Order: sequence, then C-alpha cells, then structure tokens
Amino acid sequence: MLFGLLCLTFAISHVMPGDPARLAAGPDANQSMVDTVRARYGLDRPLTVQFARYVGGLARGDLGESLRSRNTVRDDLLRYFPNTFELVTLALLLAVALGVPLGMLSAAYRDTWVDHWTRVVSVSGVALPAFWLGLMLQLLLALHFGWLPLGGRLGLTATPPAPITHLLFVDAALRGEWRTLGDALAHAVLPVVTLCFPALASILRVNRAEMLETLGQDYIKTARAQGFSGFRVVTRYALRNAMIPTLTMIGLRYGWMLGGTILVETVFDWPGIGLYAVNAAVSSDFQPIMGVTLLIGLNVMLANLLVDLAYGWLDPRIRRPGLM
Amino acid sequence: MKTTRGLLVLLALLTLATVACAVGAPGASAFERVGDKKILVFAGRQEVPTIDPSIKYDWSIRMMQQALYDGLVKYVGNPPEIQPWLAERWEVSPDAKTWTFHLAKHARFTNGDPVTAEAVRWSFARTLKLNQGPAWMLSDFLKEDGIKVVNDHTIQFTLTQSYVPFLSFVPWWYVMNPREVLAHQVDNDLGQKWLTENAAGSGPFKIKRWQQGVLYEIEAVDNYWKGWPSKDHVGGVILKLVRESAAQRAALQRGEADIVEGLSADDYEVVGKLPGIAVPNFPGMTTFGLKMNTQKAPTSDANLRKAVAYAFDYDSLVKIYNGNAVLQTSPFPNATRGHVAVPGFPRQDLAKAKEFLAKSAYPNGGVELEYVYVQGLEEERKMGLVLIDNLGKLNIKVKMVPLTWPNMVARGSKVESSPDMLAVFATPVSTDPDAVAYQYHKNSWGKYYGSSFYTNADVWGLIERARTLTKWEERAPLYADIQKRIAADVPEVFGMLQNRRWGMRDHVKGFVFSPIRLTGEVDLYPLSISAK
Repeated sequence: MLFGLLCLTFAISHVMPGDPARLAAGPDANQSMVDTVRARYGLDRPLTVQFARYVGGLARGDLGESLRSRNTVRDDLLRYFPNTFELVTLALLLAVALGVPLGMLSAAYRDTWVDHWTRVVSVSGVALPAFWLGLMLQLLLALHFGWLPLGGRLGLTATPPAPITHLLFVDAALRGEWRTLGDALAHAVLPVVTLCFPALASILRVNRAEMLETLGQDYIKTARAQGFSGFRVVTRYALRNAMIPTLTMIGLRYGWMLGGTILVETVFDWPGIGLYAVNAAVSSDFQPIMGVTLLIGLNVMLANLLVDLAYGWLDPRIRRPGLM
Repeated sequence: MKTTRGLLVLLALLTLATVACAVGAPGASAFERVGDKKILVFAGRQEVPTIDPSIKYDWSIRMMQQALYDGLVKYVGNPPEIQPWLAERWEVSPDAKTWTFHLAKHARFTNGDPVTAEAVRWSFARTLKLNQGPAWMLSDFLKEDGIKVVNDHTIQFTLTQSYVPFLSFVPWWYVMNPREVLAHQVDNDLGQKWLTENAAGSGPFKIKRWQQGVLYEIEAVDNYWKGWPSKDHVGGVILKLVRESAAQRAALQRGEADIVEGLSADDYEVVGKLPGIAVPNFPGMTTFGLKMNTQKAPTSDANLRKAVAYAFDYDSLVKIYNGNAVLQTSPFPNATRGHVAVPGFPRQDLAKAKEFLAKSAYPNGGVELEYVYVQGLEEERKMGLVLIDNLGKLNIKVKMVPLTWPNMVARGSKVESSPDMLAVFATPVSTDPDAVAYQYHKNSWGKYYGSSFYTNADVWGLIERARTLTKWEERAPLYADIQKRIAADVPEVFGMLQNRRWGMRDHVKGFVFSPIRLTGEVDLYPLSISAK
C-alpha cells in the first residue's frame, strides 16, 4: 500500500506545473544557475531514473534532500513531525476524553437540555471553520484577555530541552524541566483546543447515535430490571458495545488530523509537517512532499492497526470467532 | 443521577487542569531582555531556510546575512549610497575592467581572525564556483582567475569586459572566513551544509539560537570591528516566525514584537493609530506592472496594448494601497540612477484608448484577455476587478486566474504559455540603471520580469552599450532613451511603486530606510531601543 502511495505521489508531484530547479535557484537566476541546481539534485535525469534512485534511497533510509531547506528530508521530518504528533495526539485525547462522555450524557438524557447543549457543541464543531475558531480564540484569550500565549511552542527566551525522544513534552518531563513543560503546555492550549473541536464533534455524534441504539436493546432493559445502577448500565454494558463504531471514527479522525493541521499550524505558528508540506508543495519541492505523504501514510496504517487490535480487546467475539 | 454526577465531576477536573495551565502562561513584556541587553523582536512571515551567502537570498535571508556578514561596501540610506565597509577605498581603471579594493586593516571575523584579501578572494570564488544565489550578478563578467590577492589587504578584480555596474552589485557579495568554513566542510561541499545554519562572518551580530521554522536569534558582537553607531544599540535580535497577519498585529499590540512586516494596507491603517506604535512609510523601489505577452496574440498587437494601457484606471492602484503608493513615471523606479519622467507616460484616457483600439486588429474589442495574479494576494485581485471594469468599456473581457507563484513563474517562462497579462512586482538589487534596463533584454526572457518577451533590437543595443561606457555623462542619455523607447512600446501597463511600511513600537530608534533593501528587509545594525 505504501508503495502504491509512493508511486501515486511521485507521479502527481512530477506532473504539477512549475520548475523546481528554477524556483530553488531564485527569481533572478540565469539559465546556467538553473542548470547547476538541476544537475545537483538529479532533476535532469529521466523520471524513471529519478524514481529508481528515490526508491533505492528509501531502502537505505534516505528520503532525499529538500531544495528549499537544503537539508535532508529525514532531518526535516525529525524536526517537524514530533510537533505535529504531539499536537494531534493531545487534540485527539482531549476529543476522546470529552466526546465520549458527552455522547453518553447526550444519549442518557435524550431530549433534555443536556442533550440539546451537547448537540449544539457537535454541530458547532462540524460547522465552524477551524481557521476562524483558532483566530477568534487567539484574539479573545490571548490578545484581549492576555491569558494565553499568541502562538509558538515556547516563550521567546525559553530554550527547548536537549532532545531524547524529540517530543517536547516528554523530553521536558524526562529532563525535569518543569518550567519548560508548563510553558509548553500553556502554548499548546489554544492550538489543541482548536484542532480537537471538529474531532470532538464527530466522536460525540457517533457515540451518541451508537449509545441511543444500544440503550434500546433488550439486554439493557434486562440489566435495568435486574436493579443495576444507571451509571453501571451505561458505562459497563452500553458503552462497551457502542464503542466499536466510535473507535472507527477515532481512527479515521487521527488520519485526517495528521494531514489537516496546516491551518492550525499557520494560525498558531506551530512548526509542524503541515506547514512544511505546504511550503514544499508551493515550491514544487518533490522529495519533502513524498516524505510527508509516506510518513502520514505509515502513521495512518499504524493507527488502523491499533484500532483493529482495540476491536479485539473491546469485543471478545472478534478475538475468538467461535463465540459468534 | 449518578451518571450525571460522575461525568460532571470529570468535566470539572478537565476544566480546572486547563485553567491551571493558563494561569501559568507568561505575560507580555514591552520588549525582551536578557540580562542588561535589550533584545529586539522582529515578527516576520518568511522563514530563513539558509544563510549561506553563496546559495540564496530573499528579504528574510538577506536581513540575517547583512547582520552576520560584511561586504566590501554597503548600501546605506535613502537614496541608497554605496559606502566603504570592509574596503576603506577603491580604484577603478579607466576602462572599468579592473577594480582594486583596499581593506580596513582592523577588520576581524567574529572568531577573531583578520579579514584578509585571501578571505575576500575565496568568498567570491566560492560563490562563482557554486553558481547559485548572487552569482548571476557578476558571473558574466568575473571569473575565478580574475580575482587576485595583491597583498594581505588589497584585492583586485579584473573583469572579462568593461562593466561599470560592477560596484553596484558588490554589496551583496558577503565575505566569509575560509578557515572556519573549510574546517566544517563535509565531502568537499565547501561548507554548504554547515553554512545553512551557521555563520562565518565579520558582521555586527553572531548566531545565538537557530530554531528552524520557529525563530532565529542573533546577538550583538560587543567588540564589532567597525564599532556601533549608538551605545544603546540592540543587544540582539530575534526574528520570530508569525505567519498570520492577525497574529502579527496582535503581537505588535501586545508588545511581543517590536517590528512586524507584511501587514495588509488596511492593517497598517489600524495599527498606525494605536498608542505606542509607529508605521514608518517610505516610497520604495519595487515596481508593479501588468506584463503583457508581446509575442502572442492578441497582446502582440501594439495598438491593443496601448488601448489597454490608456483604459486602465491608475488612480485605483493608489487607492488599493490607501494612498501608500506612487504612480510610475518611467519603466525605471524613481530611485534608480538616471530615472527620467517620460513625457506622455500613459494615464487613463478612454478617448485615447478607443483611438488605439480602432487602429488595432480588434477595432471593436471582442477579445478576452487572461489576467494571472498571485493566489491569495488581495491587492492583485482587486486590480483584476479594476481591469474588468476598465476594459469592459472597450468591449474587452478579462478572465482572472489566480495561481501560486511557482505556477505563475512556470507559465511566464515560455512565450507559448505566458499569459496575456501577468501581475508582477519587481525589485532591482542595484541602483545602477542596468539592473532595471536588463529586464527588457532578450537574456531576461523566461524570468518572471521578462515574461513580456519584449523585442526591440535597438533597445537591446542601447542596453549592451550603456553597460560598457565608463562615464556617467555618456551613459545617462542612453538610459533616458531606453526608458522612452520602452515606454513607447508599452510591453506592460506600468503601474506603481508601492510604499514600504513596517509596524514598529515607538521605542525602536535608529531605523534607517534604504529602498534597495527587499520587501520586509531591515538593516538591523543601526537599531536601538530607547525605553528603560
């Protein structure tokens, strides 16, 4: 599947209009300079040779070089991907932590004010553009009230901890740099909330729908008749059965969020792969585009694998088909 | 009931955690301080992917290069003048082929090494060899074997032919410390990898932190060999990436940025009225024009082009920038040496437009012209709307096509694909008129500013001759003639010179504008902060 993705991305990026050598050489470059860049990065070779060299490089862990940053794509991804990973992971965790309970509440108190307000949240999450929401939160909470930073990952004079995992939160905790961790968390609030909102809405809606269906099942009525508390019925019996489709939605959202952080990264100056990929696309810089695509593809595959494993944990009938 | 209680407790805990983080957030400061040093924060939208002086330049890159490196000479002031810098003085042979520079004996690289003629030779040779970045400026006239070290502090350049504009490009050729660069080279790359994020210069600043994609911090070299113009000079500069203009405005208002660039015309109007904020505003050298494809129908018809030029509402260009623009009076920017106001330069005159249309192959209009502009650039979109209205009076339709810049450059690189009208901002890198005139030479075809594929062998001959003459009294009339001839051929709708503006906290002092600097570029060396 990854190889198919690779072929497709290579083909698309090379048929896009634009001469990457000319763009990299600069607007004032003469033809000799453009040819120098073309030769330096192998862009003067036939497409089949370029592809073969790229695949050969991949096998050695070499993702090529960026015309724009003049760095290896691997180094660039190592620099930018951890930021996106942390942003997306936190946003998704928040979305799940809020979306699942709100979906349960909404279903348990169907057609009451609780249900109505949670549905307002879910519709807003789908309808409000993330870009606008981010800007509004920034202007209100950062500029007007001054409660939170405007953007970035750390304060201007703060230095990130020496990397261990290249994940800022984790490295700050491992190094015991609690002030830096606090600063980083404060900077993460607005972008995480902005990114989580659409995911929260989707998870809430799916969970609510599944909970409503599950709560109408006979075994739920039986459980209630047997005197189990409402809390136990909802959380122990209904939720577990309603979680399968919710888990699917969580897995899907992870993939979408990984590939869709560009707007949030732009508004909050979050140095992630969304910005990196867009800048590369605008510069016709092929190798970063392919590197980002492959990385996101790999992550989505891993996420789907985790979701499949989680299915088995949730539903023993999937682990042991004989139980069906 | 229990469900509700349980879940509400959970939500309350999450809310408290979020507020706790928020309470810990640092407050805004008027400007950054590190010890007793005042650090200036510049919020810009453009990254600095490399600071290698031989590889690339644009406004953000060159702003940092100018701070970290020195050239033999430097552009200062408005109008831009070439001032001695690493070179105290220079001589040029009568035929303008041999240029000899005498270096300041006390100039030092940041690591303490002396700046020698050999370092200058090596730096120029490196740029020529790598054939990137500023190489195009001199590579047609200067070869590696033409650079000679006369003695430790004297360097001589012998050009392959007379080229008077040579000096006007030298400010952009920065001098690197070969010993330091070569100590870090990998696989004989002449230090390219290392110089991407490190510097080996003699400039007033040195790198403190380089967080690619986040911020770039440089700190002042206290014992900078040339000295500092003010004892209150900035102790350092942080170029922080703030990509969204609303966030840039907010940063300026909150005091988190001292200087911002690239705000929209409307944003500048708003921030300029806020207390504590100034908006320096200067006429620039960047021309805006609608380049017309002179070799492909219908715009290959000179009379049609003239009709378009006389139908266009030029005042709208100034209005789009809220009055912060000046109409061109010549193909050359006003600050270019030898600029003349061309008599009869096109302005809106519908009667004249119809007159030229009647002489064209399209006397009743009935054609559609494609107007290509930069996607997302609101000012250019508005100009397109003006075109639709203006040309509609000639029964000419306009099709607006927004494209990304790379796609525009790609389309403009060939006659067959170059659009009927292409919106182009162009900033010359030199005050010598050759830098602008050459944009209309056939050797500029394929570049974004050559996308009109202008053809006039007489003008080309004048350009080629003017660049070899050594006396300004002989060059000036040729450039006056060049301007008039280009204007008469109307290869483009010559638009306006957009003012350069920045949003700046009023405690920033020492700002010196020079129109030769690109877009948001600021000379950081003379800046100081007056607040305590």
